[in-house]
Amino acid sequence: MPTLNLHIVLAVLVTAVVGGLIGLDRTAFGQFMVSQPIVACPLVGWMVGDSAAGFVIGAALELIWVLDMPVGTFVPANATISAISATAMAVLASPGKASLPVIGASVLLTTVLAPVTMKVDGLVRKWNSRLAERARADQRPDAGRRLARIHLFGLVAFFLKSFVLLLVFVPAGIWAVMLFQHLPENVHRAMALFVKLLPLLGVALVARKLSMKAVDLFFLGGFVFSAATAQAFRAPALVIILLTALAGLLGARYRAQRSS
Amino acid sequence: MRNDHHKEITAADLLGVLGRGLLIQASWSFEWMQSLGFAYAIEPVLRKLYPEQAEYASRLRLHTDYFNTQPYLASFILGAAVKIEQDRATGRNRTVDVQALKASLMAPLGALGDSFFWGSLKPFAAVVSAALLMTGSWWASFLFLALYNIWHIGLRAGVLFLGYRTGGDAVGLMARYRFTRWAGVLKAISHTVLGGIVGTLPLWRQEFRLTFDMPALLMAVSGMAFTLVLVAVLRKGGSPLKLMLGLAAACIGLAYAGVI
Repeated sequence: MPTLNLHIVLAVLVTAVVGGLIGLDRTAFGQFMVSQPIVACPLVGWMVGDSAAGFVIGAALELIWVLDMPVGTFVPANATISAISATAMAVLASPGKASLPVIGASVLLTTVLAPVTMKVDGLVRKWNSRLAERARADQRPDAGRRLARIHLFGLVAFFLKSFVLLLVFVPAGIWAVMLFQHLPENVHRAMALFVKLLPLLGVALVARKLSMKAVDLFFLGGFVFSAATAQAFRAPALVIILLTALAGLLGARYRAQRSS
Repeated sequence: MRNDHHKEITAADLLGVLGRGLLIQASWSFEWMQSLGFAYAIEPVLRKLYPEQAEYASRLRLHTDYFNTQPYLASFILGAAVKIEQDRATGRNRTVDVQALKASLMAPLGALGDSFFWGSLKPFAAVVSAALLMTGSWWASFLFLALYNIWHIGLRAGVLFLGYRTGGDAVGLMARYRFTRWAGVLKAISHTVLGGIVGTLPLWRQEFRLTFDMPALLMAVSGMAFTLVLVAVLRKGGSPLKLMLGLAAACIGLAYAGVI
């Protein structure tokens, strides 16, 4: 079992700094989607020494959180902090390669912590209201430069939010995952199955949010097409996925022609 | 005739607005939302158009009023506002009320942008990339960034220049980019590939592959049945958080029941 040595302390610090920067992409800067689990997890996994664990967590979490959207004043759970901390916890708490049960436990722990990220996100946005009021009340000359300074200070607030949360979550999570490793074998098997089922939960969540219908024809068609292609031609998965996407495009065009 | 040569807006000025527009949400708050961000993005143009300090400060103050829309399509409104300010500063047209234009555009463009970018493009890029990542293509994370940002960056720049050229003609924007039509196509492809993810379940990467001893087709059908059960649960109302916790509890139950 690894102890909290200098390597882990440094890795936690680097995760918090990089996670803070990645977190800016979520709201404050650009929104290039670097903050999505499918990108952030492999990146952090690679940084702390196990990119494979990052790919697994990123693939499992991406579909679960992708349609949890910030609309109006609604602030969704911060999937970026959850995904980054799950990756760092799983890798840093494992002596070698992160095992599937450890990955499952890390994902579950960060899921439990997700409401905390929502609360803190809300607090930062409330605090930012003061920035706007200060800028609007400022009547002194050189208002533009002053407004820019106040506005950009919001970046610091957004960075510190992710930085501090990661600095708390990751070490606490490493400790919890170390304790998890002493739990009975049944719990380990359960966590391994949990990870394997997460992608299906993600598929269900996206299917539900993309369509109001109980069963969407494109969804069923994609399933039948890909399963049949895999069985009949034994084609590589990459080819099957690309052909399925093409079938979806042709289906959309056919539907458009019929309705026009 | 007045010499307003220095009040010409160049492509470089607009690119400057585009660059600053990436930070439109740097100080996002519940109360003022993107108001400071809008003023920050347009500020260099105002400084160029209004050399007289009092008028510059008054116009800048005006742009700190409440503003909120989808952050990418905010570029269109920024382009239109630059045009209106230029016409006002040069005396070409002083009758158009920039605040009224912003107020009339921000809600419809917010709804349009949320639906297209968050509700269609993002899940499309995520679903296609997750499908490839699940089946072992490690480069899917890069594909996700490419699929998303080709549209994101292209449209963000395109609508800024269109907003400037048309002075905020929303009908022209809709006719040119046909967001609703593309959203339908992207959703259809996403749905089809979602079905494809389940259909290729026997080809998933090792970490996600279920170890039950059954034929590949039966495994895919079981995966689909399980997904449809989850969709039915979601239709009765359930958040990602609750479902993840429920799934973990069910896995622990199965492990202790000796099923896995």
